[in-house]
Amino acid sequence: MPRFLLFYRLMVRPLLREPLRTLLTILAIALGVAVVLAIALAGDAATGSFRSSMETLAGENELEVLTSGGVPEYVVGTLATLAYSIRVSPRIEDYAVITDTKKSLPLIGLDLVAEGSAYAQSAFQKTAESQTQSAQVFNQVGDADDIWVGSSVGYRTSDRVELLINDRVRKYTVRGVYPDSNGNESAIVMDLAAAQHALGRYGRVDRILLKVPETPSLGDWQLRLRTVLPAGVEVRLRGTATNENRRMLAAFRWNLRLLSYISLIVGAFLIYNTISVSVVRRRPEIGIVRSLGASRGVILSAFLGEAACLGLAGALIGLPLGRLMATGAVRLMAATVESLYVSSRPGAIELNGACVLLALAIGVGVAVASSYSPAREASRVSPVEAMARGRREYDARVHKARDLWLALVLGLAAAAASRAPAVAGKPLLGYLAAILLVAASALAMPAFVDALTSVASNLLDKVFGVEAMLASRTLRASLRRTSVLVGALSTAIAMMTAVGIMVGSFRQTVVLWMSDQLPADLYLRPAGFAAADRHPTISSGVAEEVAKLPGVAAVERLRAYEISYEDMPATLASADLNVRRSHGNSDFFSGRPREQVFAELRDSNAVIVSEPFTYKHHLKAGDSLTLSLGATQASFRIADVYYDYSSERGSILMDRQTMLRFLPDPAPSNVAIYVSPDSQLEIVRAEIEKATAGHRVLLFSNRDLRAEAMRIFDRTFAITYALEAVAIIVAVMGIAGALLALVIDRRRELGLLRFFGAATWQVRKLILIEASLLGLLANLAGLALGFVLSLILIYVVNKQSFGWTIRFHWPVEILFGALTVVYGVTVLAGLYPAQVAVRLNPIEVIHEE
Amino acid sequence: MPILSLQDVSKDYLTDGQPVHALKGLSLNVERGEFVALVGRSGCGKSTLLNLAGAMDFPTSGKVLLDGVSTSSLEDNGLTRLRRERVGFIFQSFQLLHTLTVFENVELPLLLAGKRNPREAARERLAWVELEGLGDRHPHQLSGGQMQRVAVARALIHSPSLLLADEPTGNLDTMTGNVILELLKRLAREQNTATIVATHSLEAASLANTLVRLRDGKIEELTRR
Amino acid sequence: MKSRLAGFAAALLLQQPLAAQYRTALPGYRYEFPRDHFNHPEFQSEWWYYTGNLKSLDGHRFGFELTFFRQAVSRDPTRNTVWEVRDLYLAHLALSDLDAGKFYHQERTNRSGPGIAAASESLGRIWNGNWQTQWHGSDQELKAVSERFQLHLTLHPEKPPVIHGENGVSQKAEGPGHASHYVSLTRLATSGDIDLRDKKFEVRGTSWMDHEFFTHQLEPHQTGWDWLSLQLQDGTELMLFHIRRMDGSIDPHSAGTYVDAEGKTTHLHSSDFKLLATGEKWKSPLTGAEYPIHWKAAIPKLAIELEAKTPLESQELTGQTKLAPNYWEGAMVITGQRKAQPLGGAGYLEMTGYDRPVQLVP
Repeated sequence: MPRFLLFYRLMVRPLLREPLRTLLTILAIALGVAVVLAIALAGDAATGSFRSSMETLAGENELEVLTSGGVPEYVVGTLATLAYSIRVSPRIEDYAVITDTKKSLPLIGLDLVAEGSAYAQSAFQKTAESQTQSAQVFNQVGDADDIWVGSSVGYRTSDRVELLINDRVRKYTVRGVYPDSNGNESAIVMDLAAAQHALGRYGRVDRILLKVPETPSLGDWQLRLRTVLPAGVEVRLRGTATNENRRMLAAFRWNLRLLSYISLIVGAFLIYNTISVSVVRRRPEIGIVRSLGASRGVILSAFLGEAACLGLAGALIGLPLGRLMATGAVRLMAATVESLYVSSRPGAIELNGACVLLALAIGVGVAVASSYSPAREASRVSPVEAMARGRREYDARVHKARDLWLALVLGLAAAAASRAPAVAGKPLLGYLAAILLVAASALAMPAFVDALTSVASNLLDKVFGVEAMLASRTLRASLRRTSVLVGALSTAIAMMTAVGIMVGSFRQTVVLWMSDQLPADLYLRPAGFAAADRHPTISSGVAEEVAKLPGVAAVERLRAYEISYEDMPATLASADLNVRRSHGNSDFFSGRPREQVFAELRDSNAVIVSEPFTYKHHLKAGDSLTLSLGATQASFRIADVYYDYSSERGSILMDRQTMLRFLPDPAPSNVAIYVSPDSQLEIVRAEIEKATAGHRVLLFSNRDLRAEAMRIFDRTFAITYALEAVAIIVAVMGIAGALLALVIDRRRELGLLRFFGAATWQVRKLILIEASLLGLLANLAGLALGFVLSLILIYVVNKQSFGWTIRFHWPVEILFGALTVVYGVTVLAGLYPAQVAVRLNPIEVIHEE
Repeated sequence: MPILSLQDVSKDYLTDGQPVHALKGLSLNVERGEFVALVGRSGCGKSTLLNLAGAMDFPTSGKVLLDGVSTSSLEDNGLTRLRRERVGFIFQSFQLLHTLTVFENVELPLLLAGKRNPREAARERLAWVELEGLGDRHPHQLSGGQMQRVAVARALIHSPSLLLADEPTGNLDTMTGNVILELLKRLAREQNTATIVATHSLEAASLANTLVRLRDGKIEELTRR
Repeated sequence: MKSRLAGFAAALLLQQPLAAQYRTALPGYRYEFPRDHFNHPEFQSEWWYYTGNLKSLDGHRFGFELTFFRQAVSRDPTRNTVWEVRDLYLAHLALSDLDAGKFYHQERTNRSGPGIAAASESLGRIWNGNWQTQWHGSDQELKAVSERFQLHLTLHPEKPPVIHGENGVSQKAEGPGHASHYVSLTRLATSGDIDLRDKKFEVRGTSWMDHEFFTHQLEPHQTGWDWLSLQLQDGTELMLFHIRRMDGSIDPHSAGTYVDAEGKTTHLHSSDFKLLATGEKWKSPLTGAEYPIHWKAAIPKLAIELEAKTPLESQELTGQTKLAPNYWEGAMVITGQRKAQPLGGAGYLEMTGYDRPVQLVP
């Protein structure tokens, strides 16, 4: 107990005496913890618990039979008549949009005749309307406009619902409502026949779920079943898609998680600063306590304990804050996941014991770790110092030159690490290089601050007067503290700059790429919900009709399928390659002109693949790959690799005629329309709109489509920006806290200035100039570090995680804007400390010695 | 007209909720060139008197006229201007800014007042205190006596009419202290500056034209020589 | 006379007042085999029905039932895709483990779909999922897999097909068309395997096949029926059925058929035979229905008096969906006499409408 009492008196009480600054430190940790927690939670909710939304109503089936483009129907008959006691559940799977609410839901076609009895017994029977339910399943089974919906959609039996499916809108009648419990997501359920009719997709089902007897093992069942299935048709564990999605999302989540630690790193700087200040201020006290018999260990643990208290308090605030932020993060993350990877509905956010432990561990851990160095310094204070008069200045233990050498060594190590290849598919060494660089910059900071302030002080004196001179002198004098502050803020700024440059470069790359990739004048696409993994189709025949319109020079039909290639999701697409026009740059790695590559693809088993695809599957031009298409399996040669920034999933593109040989469904997912040069775009557009009036299609002009693409692009990176913003907020809070400390520590000096004739505005100006100097230093250092980090992000981390080739580009406006805002906020953060400085009573502080 | 005139001045403070009557109806006039020693026990109101005289604080009642201007009639800006032009301060613990050189410390009041190119004035003041050539040093490179000389130079940089020194020898050995006092006396005469030195030192008291002994916020003894 | 599907069909037909588009069973129908062993899509309802009494080499007795029903839903020619529900195919599979006192049964419903269920002359096969009968000439191979047991039986007809009723129709109620075309193979020498509880039984015995197709046959006042098939030791067979009316009386359209050892058939009018329950009943714990499980039959003009008893009381089939009527269908042991000579045999009894009246809306 006495030890705790002592700890309270000597360590905690001083903290309470400066509640605002203590609070700021705690809040900085809280924010750091909250962000990490929010991203972890949101990651789990947005992707971790990711079940393909098609897994709803999948029941207890263990196996699934599927192939690219759908399983031929006859396979259902083959499986149903096998002499094994297997339950066979064919499914047609797509999406429908409820036109009233714009809500997109899975559309699931089930064999309601065969499974109706099962539903009658289980799910359906639990609803109030169940008595007549099963009879209705059979009664209505012939009607193509009957649907069953999940309870959370909010419809009741016999409601009429209008659904947008692909490019058509139809009215349906709700025949029943099933409960969404048991992990069932809300979906629109139809009979297979109705679903085929709604989708205009005949001859194939998307998936066949199987429930097999317990013996032999699932692996044996897979082997057994494979022998009766056509070559291209695969039998695998159900939920494999979920795992594949998880695998695909792993890199994304991993990178996002790392990004979330930036705020924590910034927070660590601030803890370091807080504890350092605390140590320096209390040197005499430490000396006294030492002379009264406290050992070094006691002092060390006291300061570590102080940090741990701050960390714990921060973590405790960070927990609910993180939970709160997770809600927003889920939305942002889901948007990214949806544009880049797969359409998913975020699950519930679960704050479990592990998360709480994580928060506490990182809060306390970061606090203790970052306070170790000042705490150790405190433990080295000799008892004699208690008697020493006056305060030691902050630069007492700054070793500028030595640290600069260390920084150089770390910088070289970073350079080496950035050249290393990925480890287990993750750019571990790339991140190591980034961390080394941050560390190097932290070490180089004192030298940088010293050099810059000494250069600046003369200059500032001339331009901004004596207050500027005093400010720069003060910052330079408390070099260590200044360096830490500049280090914290510059790290945050560097991260922002780096990510800003990367995203900006990426954006510019995409803009350039699109101008090559979107050569047509108009684009037609179904109004149904499209996403990276959803490809609604336009009714077949529409494109051909459009082609006949006057003023239309040519149409290019694109068709995309979601496939699984070597346990990873991928997009398989086809296009009318003979139509596509050439437009400037080559899209290919080989640099060959488009016509030459397309000629190779035409009507042959050759494909081109996207850059992310080659990266994921370690393939290159000239290799061959085997695709399961419908009932067959075929080998394709990779003719070339093309740049593709539309999705991270990885794409395979073949000629339309080639695809139709394997998958005869002629409905295109998109149509690109070329207008004759002698026709007016608006007139042709009106013609097309008239011709497609019977279908729900969206007609984009080239410009609209690009704008739309950029909108999606920006949405994709919203989460990144949000993380940056939090890191900046943490840093700025740190600046405010540190300035406050600086004001309190220098109150004597500030009071003195008043004696010598300084007006209050001059004192305020002095503090604001200090804040702005800090901001300026941090911006300069951050911009420089950020530039180097952006190179690592673009050429190492991005390349190793996602495999995109990004051309470097300075996003000048955005960077300038962001840095200005940060700078402005930093200066604003000085307002309160300045006010505190102004309010100091000079008579009191001058006699405080 | 006296440069400083305190007319029936009282000053009350609240310390830990308890009212403290630091000065009780005190009156005093100080003329240009006059060297006043302010003596008395700790807590007798010496510092309070100096603060009121230096326009750092207002009296609770009564009037403080600095060069004929009542401090109570001025706002913060006016007080600041008054201090800048008329008053110089010297403290027991020198109160030099360690981040600044000797020159810069000395120049500080002029700079704060917005004056340009104060270096010549600083050089001159340093000559007065016999510290020529030490202008580029930092305070921590100086001895205590030298530091107090710098403080004196700083206090005189703007040629104030009133120089207020609060225990200027308190942190110095006797000999050095005496030297500083001699210096102050000489400068007061040369510059025609009124100087008030709050001190425990008998030496200082003996040097003064006027001796003011305070006791419990009142003048117990006023001796003009 | 296995009209249990009728109730189910009725539910469907509420929405499908299209019975008119189907052909009805009228006198003078010209039968042709094997064609008429298979599908008759122009009739709304059709079923193939196999029951049999079997014994393993070590004397373990089994009864089995395998039925395939087809019920037309729509003949709309625009509904022509594979998954369109033109017919519903139901099937029942039951195994009576008579010596162990156990009864297993399972039900399934399918559409024809891509080869899931059908009755195809070209393939010589009638099937519903992995329950099927495959014709090889005049022999049939029955295969059925359920979660708990499997059947694999070969059925060899010892007599030509029997056409019940008069002039090719089996009249069930008053008026033209209220009848069915009803064909039976009354004596099928059966051999094969039964897999039950990881044990394989090699079995032999005699089976009976019914095949009936019609469009509508019963009237609302007809509430249920009792049907008996009897395979007697002297090489003759009997089929007898009662249609019970709402007022408790026996409908005069009740009838039967006698098949002599050479396969010659004699139609029995309701006045030609007496079929009486002795009053011994089994009450179903599931449906609460009380089934008379001990019957006496007398055909004075053939001097036959028989008694039918079951070795297993619990042979009730209850539908999972509660759509099809619940019914009792079980193996029977026959004792009795003909012209004062003792006469034994085996048979199957079917009883419907004991838990509630079978709704017989056409």
